Amino acid sequence: MNAHEQYQEIAALDAIGAASPDEERDLHDHLGKCAECRAVRDEYAEAATLLARGLEPVPPPEDLRDRVVAAEEDNVVDARRRFGPGAWWLATAATLFLALWGWRELAMRVEREKYTTQQAEIHRLAEDNARLAQKNDKLSAEMAALASADTRQIALSGQQVAPSASARVFLEPAKRRAIVFFYNLPANAKDKSYQLWVIAGDKPQSAGVFDVTGGSGNATISIENLPVATEIKALAVTLEPRGGVAQPTNANFFVMGRSSL
Amino acid sequence: MSSSFDSSPALIPAVARGDLAAFEAVYDRYSGTLYALLLRILGNAEDAQEVLQEAFVKVWTTARAFDAARGSEIAWLISIARSKGIDKLRSRRVRADRENDAGREISIQSSFVDKTTGADNAILSQERIAVRNALAELPEAQRIALELAYFEGLSQSEISERLHEPLGTVKTRMQLGMKKLRDRLQAFR
Repeated sequence: MNAHEQYQEIAALDAIGAASPDEERDLHDHLGKCAECRAVRDEYAEAATLLARGLEPVPPPEDLRDRVVAAEEDNVVDARRRFGPGAWWLATAATLFLALWGWRELAMRVEREKYTTQQAEIHRLAEDNARLAQKNDKLSAEMAALASADTRQIALSGQQVAPSASARVFLEPAKRRAIVFFYNLPANAKDKSYQLWVIAGDKPQSAGVFDVTGGSGNATISIENLPVATEIKALAVTLEPRGGVAQPTNANFFVMGRSSL
Repeated sequence: MSSSFDSSPALIPAVARGDLAAFEAVYDRYSGTLYALLLRILGNAEDAQEVLQEAFVKVWTTARAFDAARGSEIAWLISIARSKGIDKLRSRRVRADRENDAGREISIQSSFVDKTTGADNAILSQERIAVRNALAELPEAQRIALELAYFEGLSQSEISERLHEPLGTVKTRMQLGMKKLRDRLQAFR
């Protein structure tokens, strides 16, 4: 690896704010004299924003728009006041003009608020509609999967830490996906998540994290990209730090079951 | 640099000229994305709104610094909002540490969780779906490491500690993940 490639690897980390202070300093010194690495740094910076662009937009509250715009309107007015002529008659005329303009602005603002309220309502209804449609599609797909002749089941039983818990895995081997229903699991603390592990080969692989809240003790998760069914030896659930970990940090299984596929 | 994400007419140069209507258009076009980002970073609507307002003040005052040759309009706006969001998050962590508080709850969203709760997502634009597909193609370990850095503002060593993984492993995962994202970005152009 040449020096440029090393700097470009630091640029990849810098784009997500993960370069160490020393790396950041070295990188910036180098970028000052290397157009090629500057271009790569800019590409990484753009690529990092994909993490944000995948998020579902959330409309901010309506009054925030007014506050943001009003603040900049004030700046514009201040700037004009600073650089404009100072004659008293002009100030008087401006005052009269602003008074008349103010009525017009007020009326426009009322209309704008009505409009934004209606837009927000339309947006909310559209979101509800889309959410229901997606839920419907998902449920239909899950029902089709459950009803498929090829679907295999694996039962997971409660272990010492949660003897009354259980889970049932509905596995579609051909599509390497599964739906898992958990029952009677204790609610997890806010700083913890349940994590489902697929044991295939030597190491457990994470198959996703989930929360159990409220008193039902039930949860459901969908899993994609499972290992080949015949390679799955067992499935198990542990309680891990919130968000999950790469490998289990403990062997306190809540539910566990062996595959006979 | 341009991408299919911002094929609409550029607005920031007009904002740089003091065009208030362009500024309002920027707000209308991008505030939803920026607010979602700040909610993801800060996990709290009040802070997210405060920071969003600060971010737009910065957009107005520094629009002249935007250079379309270096990146897209949306990337520039996201960078401003993320930077302010992470600053706020860190100052809140310092305050929480000082008060011997447990601090903010940590959340790492795995793709499995996203799939489970995917029905909660609203209308997805084709572009956003393309981005999500690109992110979904990343191995989970790489994506988690990237998200911890990008959304939680954690350093390499903090991520290593959090994931119980060696520092070198964490750095490699982040570099590989970023290379893949950069490759995918080429495909979007």
